Amino acid sequence: MVNTNNNLSSILAVDIGSSTTRALLFDIVNTKYRFIAEGSAPSTAGSPFFDIAECVWHAIEDLQDKTGRMMISDAEGLIIPSTMDNNGVDAMVATISAGKPIRVVTVGLLQDVSISTANQLASTINAQVVEEISLNDRRQDQDRINLLLKTRPDLIIISGGTNGGASKSILNLIEVVGLAGYLTKDDQKTHILYVGNEELQEDVKDDLGKISNLHIAPNIQPSLNQKQMYPAQKELAEIFKMIRRKQIGGMSEVLTWTDGNMTATATAFSRMIRFLSRKYEPDKGVLGIDIGSRNTTITASFEGEETLRVLPNLGIGAGCQRILKHVQVSDITRWLPLKIPDSFVRDYVNNKSIYPDSLPATQEEIAIEHAVAREILRATVKDILPKIPEAFQKGSLLPSVEPIIGSGSVITQAPKRTQSLLILLDGLQPAGVTTIALDQNGLLPSLGIISDINPLLTVQVIETSTFLNLGTVIAPYGNARLGTPILRMRITRQNGEKTTRDIKYGTLSVLPTSVGEQVTLHLRPLHGFDIGMGGPGKAGKVSAVGGSLGIIIDARGRPLRFSPDPEKNRKRAKKWITSLEKFA
Amino acid sequence: MLASTKHILPRTNIRRERILPQLGRVVARRMQKVVPTDVVAEANLEPEHIMIDLTQGLNVSAAKANDLLQRQAGDVLSKGDVIAGPVGLFQRVVRAPADCEVKIAGEGKVLLEKDTPSYQLLAGMKGTVTNIIPERGVIIETVGALIQGVWGNGKIAHGVMQRLSKDLEGEVQAKQVDISFRGAIAIGGYCKDPEFFSTAASIPIKGLILGSMSSALIPVASKMEYPIIIIDGFGQKPMNTLASRLLITNEEKEISLNAQEYNRTTGKYPEAIISLPSPDNFNVPKDTDEFSVGKKVYVDSGPYATRIGTIEVIPLKTYTFASGIQTQAAEIALDGNQRAWIPLKNLEIIET
Repeated sequence: MVNTNNNLSSILAVDIGSSTTRALLFDIVNTKYRFIAEGSAPSTAGSPFFDIAECVWHAIEDLQDKTGRMMISDAEGLIIPSTMDNNGVDAMVATISAGKPIRVVTVGLLQDVSISTANQLASTINAQVVEEISLNDRRQDQDRINLLLKTRPDLIIISGGTNGGASKSILNLIEVVGLAGYLTKDDQKTHILYVGNEELQEDVKDDLGKISNLHIAPNIQPSLNQKQMYPAQKELAEIFKMIRRKQIGGMSEVLTWTDGNMTATATAFSRMIRFLSRKYEPDKGVLGIDIGSRNTTITASFEGEETLRVLPNLGIGAGCQRILKHVQVSDITRWLPLKIPDSFVRDYVNNKSIYPDSLPATQEEIAIEHAVAREILRATVKDILPKIPEAFQKGSLLPSVEPIIGSGSVITQAPKRTQSLLILLDGLQPAGVTTIALDQNGLLPSLGIISDINPLLTVQVIETSTFLNLGTVIAPYGNARLGTPILRMRITRQNGEKTTRDIKYGTLSVLPTSVGEQVTLHLRPLHGFDIGMGGPGKAGKVSAVGGSLGIIIDARGRPLRFSPDPEKNRKRAKKWITSLEKFA
Repeated sequence: MLASTKHILPRTNIRRERILPQLGRVVARRMQKVVPTDVVAEANLEPEHIMIDLTQGLNVSAAKANDLLQRQAGDVLSKGDVIAGPVGLFQRVVRAPADCEVKIAGEGKVLLEKDTPSYQLLAGMKGTVTNIIPERGVIIETVGALIQGVWGNGKIAHGVMQRLSKDLEGEVQAKQVDISFRGAIAIGGYCKDPEFFSTAASIPIKGLILGSMSSALIPVASKMEYPIIIIDGFGQKPMNTLASRLLITNEEKEISLNAQEYNRTTGKYPEAIISLPSPDNFNVPKDTDEFSVGKKVYVDSGPYATRIGTIEVIPLKTYTFASGIQTQAAEIALDGNQRAWIPLKNLEIIET
C-alpha cells in the first residue's frame, strides 16, 4: 500500500520516453500546487548509452538551468528533501514508455473467451502478443512446448476457467507451460502471470513456482458475465517494471531515486483518465489519447471502469512505418490539403521511422505528419471500440465522452491550434456533444503517478494549468444531401443576446466565443439527425463553455466520407482548414 | 545539445561485438583472421521437442510404462534406439524417432529434444578476432573505412566494389548491370525499378550499395539473396557526397557488407567496411557529440536531406520554418556555396 503525503510540497516527475526524457517540477505557489517548469534531454535508453539514468540526469540539469533551483549536487546526487533555501525537491516519481514492446504469449482455454481477455490485459502495457496457445488451436503438446521455447517470451499470461469452472483442461495447459519452463535455462526464466480459475492457484504454484517467476492475480473472468481487469492490470504493471529493470540500464538507479514510485507511462495516463471520469460528468465517459514517437495509447473510462489499449510500434516517430500495415497510402493522402505524390508520402513515412526525432520543415512535410496522425487515431479508435463496456458502445461511432483529451507532441505542439483540433476531430470523429482539450504540457502521466503519493497536488494542478480547452464540439450524425439543414441552434449568450443558426450538412463551422464564455445552446436536430440527446430528432439544451477556438459545429457527418477524386478531397481539406482558421 | 553522429570515415578503428541471441558455442579462436561469411559462433535457437506417450505406444498403464522405461533424462539416443519395452506377445517397443536427447522421462511419457541444425553467427566483417566472450560470441577488430547505412536486407557478403555510374547520383537501371558485375559489390545512386534487383540477382552480383531507393521496393529488396545497403534513406536522392567520394576512392578494393537490420535502440546499423590495415592506431569513432560552430554535419531529413555542410551559426533563439514549427536551428553552409537554416533535430554530426 502506498502512503499518501500531502506534506510533500515539491515533487519532481520524470517521464522517460523513447525519444525525449522530460523532468517536470511541481511546487506550491500562493498556497496552491502548480506546475512550475520543464526540462528535457534526448533519451538514452538505447545506443550508445543504454542507461536511462543518463538522460534523467540531463533533463534535471536542464530543469535546473531553467529554474535556477539546484536539484542535484555532485556530492549527494538528487537533493531530497528540499532545503530552506528552496533547493532540492521533496520527492521524485517517474514514468517510462521507452523500450521495445514486451513479448507476451497468452495461454487460455478458448480463443474467443479467455485468450481474447488475456490479450486485452496484455494491451494495457507496452506489449506485443507474439503467440496464443489455446485448447482449440489444434496443436499437439510438443508443438506448444516448441512454440514457447522458440518465441522466448518475456511474459506468459495464463487465463481461463471461471472460478469453480473448468480445471482439468487448464491444468493440462499449465503442464505444457511447466515443461517448457523446465527446459528453459535458469538465467532465462520467464515471468508467468496466472489470472485464471482461482481454485487452481495452489496447483499453479506447485507446477510453475519453481521453474518461472510466477505471479498470481485474481481471475480476470470470475464468471461468464463478469470481467475484472483492474487487479490483474495492477499486478501486470508491477511485472512490467521488473522486466524493464532487467532490459533497461539505469532502471535500478531511477527506482532508488523515486523510492519505487515509477510506472509505465500508459498506466499512469490511464489512471488520470479514470480519475477525471469520476470528476467530470458521470453519465459520460472520458477519453484520452496519446500519440508518442513509438507507441500510441488510448484509454476510455466509464463510471470508473477503464479500457486501456497500448498500440506498440505505432506512433509518429520510430513507430511511423507501422501505419502502412493498417492503411493504404491513399488513406493518408486523402487528408492532405496539398498535392503530394503517393510515393513521396510513402518515402516520408518510412524515413520518419529511420529518423524519428526529425522535424517537419516544410508545409508538405507537416501536412503528411498530421495526416498520418489522423490515421493513427482512426486505427486506435477501431482497436478500442469493441473493448469498451457494451452499455456504452454506439456501434462504429465513438461513444459519448466528455471531454476528449489529446496528448503527444504531434497534437499538442502543432503550430496552430486549428491543426490540433482538426487532427482530433478527423481522427476520432466524435458524435454528439463533447469538449476537446489538450494536455498541453504533457502532464497527465506524471499527475497519474503523483496521485499515489500526493492526491491533493494532482487535484489542484488539474484545476489550473493542465488542459487547454480547444472548444465544445457539436457533431450531429445521420444521413442527408450536402447542404440540407440538419441542425437548428438557438444561442443564448451571457448578456442575454439571442441568435438562431441553421447548420447545413457537410459544413464545419465555428460559433465564436471568448475563452471561458458560458453559452446556452438549444439544439434541435432536423431530418432525423441525432446529437446524442436520446435518439434521432431529439432536441435538448446544452450549456457550453467557449474554448480557445470557440464552439465548433462539425456537420460533416459520421463517418467522414471521401470522394474517389483526390482533387475534390484536397479542396475540401483546404476548406475545412479555412473554416476554422478564419475564426482562430 | 547532444547530437547523434553519422559514420562515414576514411580510416578508423572498427570494433564490433558479434553476439548470439542466446547462449551457445563460440567456434572462432582468439587472433583468428576472419572474412564476413566465416562462422564465429553457433547455437540451437529453435530446439525441436517430441513428446511420446509410452502408454499408447506400449498399450500399458502409466505405472507399467515407467517400469518398462530403459532411458533417463540426459541419455543421448540415435534414431531407432529403444526407449521403452519390450512388452507383450509381440515384444512391443518404443524407439527414438530421430537422433535426440531424453530431456524428461516419467508419468508414462518421455520428452525428447531432436538434434536440430544450429544457428550460425557470421563474422559480418573482415578483421581479427581480438576477444572471445565465452558461450556468447566474439569481438572483431580492423582498421579501415566505415560507411554506415540506414536500411539493410539482413544478408552478409564481401567482394570487390564496382561502380554502376560515374557519380553515384542518378537512378540505377537494369541495363547497367551486365556480366562484368558478376561476383562484384555494385554501388550506385538510387533505385525505383524492381527489375533492377532481379536483373542484378541473375548476373549474379554479390552485393549492392545504394544512396536511396523507393520505399515501395522494400518487400522486393528484402527478398534478394545478396546484401543490399541503403546509405541515406528512402526516395530518389543521390548518395551523399562524403560516402560516394569514399566509395569511389576505394573502387576495386574489397568491401565487406553486413546489411543487418537498422536498429536505433541497439545501435546496430547496416554497414560497409573496407579493411585497410595500418600500423597506426586510430580511435574508435564517437557515437554522440555536441553541436557547435564549425562542426561538419549531415542533413538527415527535409528538403536538404543527404546534403553535407558546416555549422555557421547556432542562435539561442528558435527559428520558424515554413511548416510553422519553431525550434532550435542552425545556419548551415552546404556543399555548393548554398546556405540554409535547418532544425538541429534534422542534423547529425560527421566526425572528421
